[in-house]
Amino acid sequence: MREIPMVELRGVCKSFGNLQVLKDINLRVAKGEVVSIIGPSGSGKSTLLRCVNYLERPDSGTVSIAGNPVPEDENALNKARAKVGMVFQHFNLFPHMTALENVMEGPVQVKKMPKHEAKELALSLLSKVGLADKADAYPRRLSGGQKQRVAIARALAMQPDVMLFDEATSALDPELIGEVLQVMRDLAAEGMTMLVVTHEIGFAREVSDRIVVLADGQIVEEGRPEKLLSAPKHQRTREFLAKILPARA
Amino acid sequence: MKQSIISTALFIQDILPALLRASGVTVKLTLYSIILGIVIGTGIALMRISRNKVLSGLGTAYVTVLRGTPLMVQILIVYFALPQLGLRLDKFSSAVVALGINASAYIAEIIRAAIESIDPGQMEAARSLGMSYGLAMRRIIIPQTYRRLLPPLGNEFIAMLKDTSLIAFIGGEELTRAGQHIISATFRPWPVYITVAAIYLCMTALFSLFVQLGERKLLQ
Repeated sequence: MREIPMVELRGVCKSFGNLQVLKDINLRVAKGEVVSIIGPSGSGKSTLLRCVNYLERPDSGTVSIAGNPVPEDENALNKARAKVGMVFQHFNLFPHMTALENVMEGPVQVKKMPKHEAKELALSLLSKVGLADKADAYPRRLSGGQKQRVAIARALAMQPDVMLFDEATSALDPELIGEVLQVMRDLAAEGMTMLVVTHEIGFAREVSDRIVVLADGQIVEEGRPEKLLSAPKHQRTREFLAKILPARA
Repeated sequence: MKQSIISTALFIQDILPALLRASGVTVKLTLYSIILGIVIGTGIALMRISRNKVLSGLGTAYVTVLRGTPLMVQILIVYFALPQLGLRLDKFSSAVVALGINASAYIAEIIRAAIESIDPGQMEAARSLGMSYGLAMRRIIIPQTYRRLLPPLGNEFIAMLKDTSLIAFIGGEELTRAGQHIISATFRPWPVYITVAAIYLCMTALFSLFVQLGERKLLQ
């Protein structure tokens, strides 16, 4: 008997105008699995991720979370989204709220969690990402790396089944990338199911169970990181890796 | 020469209490109208940005009609034409309705622009937490517009304060009308209208100052 996948995309297609961004995407992510999605820019990586929580509605195909198809109905969709955490490239913290309030907002407003309980949860999550001392700081007082860690805590506060990372480190100064990757690494180690769109090949290699290569809206190759990165089968994968990996002697 | 200055000063001193009393009506008119304008304007702004084509179309039509016709005509319609349809309002209510509805069209555009200036990523982050569109608007988007709203709303308030003078045409006892009364009794338009203008100026200057202080507070 096969386990029900935590995330399953079947035949997902998405176009913007005449541009077909995703072409018949099929992807299964098991519970606790960490899957990195890599590929050239414009290949549809972000769109794929955004289809998982229906920030983009697929034109056709189905997305299921823990065996349940993502519903069309607005109310049901809101509930489904609450179980899928998302971390954005540009953090998208709420600037009019402190770090603590950012993290509390979901549990209090969506889950109707009592405030004192939400505060306790938020504080524990902030200390988990190493920012207990920044609880009362507004986002504009935080560095990029700190903002992104608050954003991760905010997503975790909803106790999601899956976490989606959309180029979570691409907007960061190089010296701040490490602290965010460390938080993601810890999460993966705790068994969180993660879908990670990334340009950090080193991270993908080290942390993911599987790497998926997307090119021109299609999955051209997928496999275990060490295998895929050292012996890519597909021409598009080789081209892409040649561009981003330093030349090997 | 010196004597005429003194007599004018005494005259102004005489008429000032009546004019100041009428200024109270002007301020009250402005406040009520701006509140009505903000309430209706927020609704119209939300209609304008709605994905529902009927709602956004209605919102656009509302703004087009009210911005495309003179305020003076709108005031006359509310006070003189509506009673023919069986809706009779007293002068003060007519004035508030006409000024408030007129302002709502401009305020709707101010609010719409402020909402649309917020990074779309904010809505996405809110929705990804499971918030409904309405909740995301109320908790995340609208609160971020306050600081951007204050300066244009301040302008709107000042414009409104001056526009209340049009109410004189339907006989509303506000500042301009009070001046006209005094002139018809004294035949001295020069000092009266200058005093009236000076009172408007004091009120708008004072209000501008409040807006600046408010902005500074919101910037902190």
